[in-house]
Amino acid sequence: MEQDTLLSEMTQSIIDGNRNQAEILAREAVSQGMDLNAVIEQGFVPGIQRVGDLWEQGEYFLPELITSAECMKAVMNILQPELDKANIRARSLGKVVIGTIEGDIHDIGKSLVASMLGANGFDVVDLGADVKLDRFIATAQEVEADLICVSALLTTTMLLQKTLVAHLREQGLLDRFKVMVGGAPVNQRWAQDIGAHGYAENAMTAVQAVKELLGSRLEP
Amino acid sequence: MSAASDVRRLHSLPIRIPERKILYRLGYKGRNAQVSDTVSEMITEQEKRLGTLLRPEALYRILNYDETNQHPVFKGAAKVALCICTIGEELERSSAALIEDNEMLRGFILDSFGSEAAEETAIQADRIIAQEARGLGLWPSKRFSPGYSIWDIREQSYMFATLPASEIGVRLTDTFMMVPRKSVSFRINFYRNREQTTRRFG
Repeated sequence: MEQDTLLSEMTQSIIDGNRNQAEILAREAVSQGMDLNAVIEQGFVPGIQRVGDLWEQGEYFLPELITSAECMKAVMNILQPELDKANIRARSLGKVVIGTIEGDIHDIGKSLVASMLGANGFDVVDLGADVKLDRFIATAQEVEADLICVSALLTTTMLLQKTLVAHLREQGLLDRFKVMVGGAPVNQRWAQDIGAHGYAENAMTAVQAVKELLGSRLEP
Repeated sequence: MSAASDVRRLHSLPIRIPERKILYRLGYKGRNAQVSDTVSEMITEQEKRLGTLLRPEALYRILNYDETNQHPVFKGAAKVALCICTIGEELERSSAALIEDNEMLRGFILDSFGSEAAEETAIQADRIIAQEARGLGLWPSKRFSPGYSIWDIREQSYMFATLPASEIGVRLTDTFMMVPRKSVSFRINFYRNREQTTRRFG
């Protein structure tokens, strides 16, 4: 199959949320010895971007977003080992440490955000739920993160988002790591009040918000 | 009935969840929202599992006002019903396992069923408690949960000190969250006068 056709089919497989087809095409790209960064950026990424557009236009809904994100994950599970073997680094839009704050055991909303960010080209370290403040900071330092995403689902636990930002400020790390907050009781005003850099209402707007937050860092 | 004679235990509550509620949780809010066959099939597939995954149960206790901790939210009530409901932890485990297994959408759909089932369990318990209030010649309020209005989330401690929640497998974390997560706690005030309650039709 022509490479252009293959790239175009890769895009379509993500738009369709067709995991089997996406996996077949990813394997085909490997077997043809294609430039895998080009495969990702010109084949699969345009698909997930189109899915985001369709969501914004009200054509797609959460299930389509999730399905397409799952396809991207499946594709990367095939391509990443090949990139590693060839000692090639997949281009990343940035490194994100994400988790639900200490004392809060809600997980699924945060997992959706992690999944969407991963599908859209960010390196994501998901710490899970009930994450101690120190662990957010230590992990961000360890992996040299660009951004810390902190979810809280209760009015009681959201207060710890403020504490986290304060700790980062005290340690002189607030310039090094951007902080984005989210969760049911959280809003833009809260993010501003506590000194967080960003806020996202849902998984898809989180992708856009993170791109905007990290945009200035990622430009060459 | 529970070991404590004034604690009532409800189980085998009939839980029905309209598909539209799941679709709403999945973001299908517009009139023209088209649900794909794949998503419809996944919803049906997860719905079929509910019979084995749901354990809807509730515990409640009706106290005279002076038997309560006399928090301001109880003021004016002749009696107060305190209730804790849950759907158990099987569904949560199963949803988490699906997500772990890269089946995020199926896991999310199942989790949505769980949230609706917990709410439906609370609705069922609410109805039974309201009937009991009426049987006592009193007027039930709407149900309210700790964490709303002036009833601080820390009042969960009082709820759990008053009700043997462990009998239905519910515990409270240090941060006042219930485990299993798909649990609901609430109060209903019983008033002597209809004018005191905002519940529609008394």
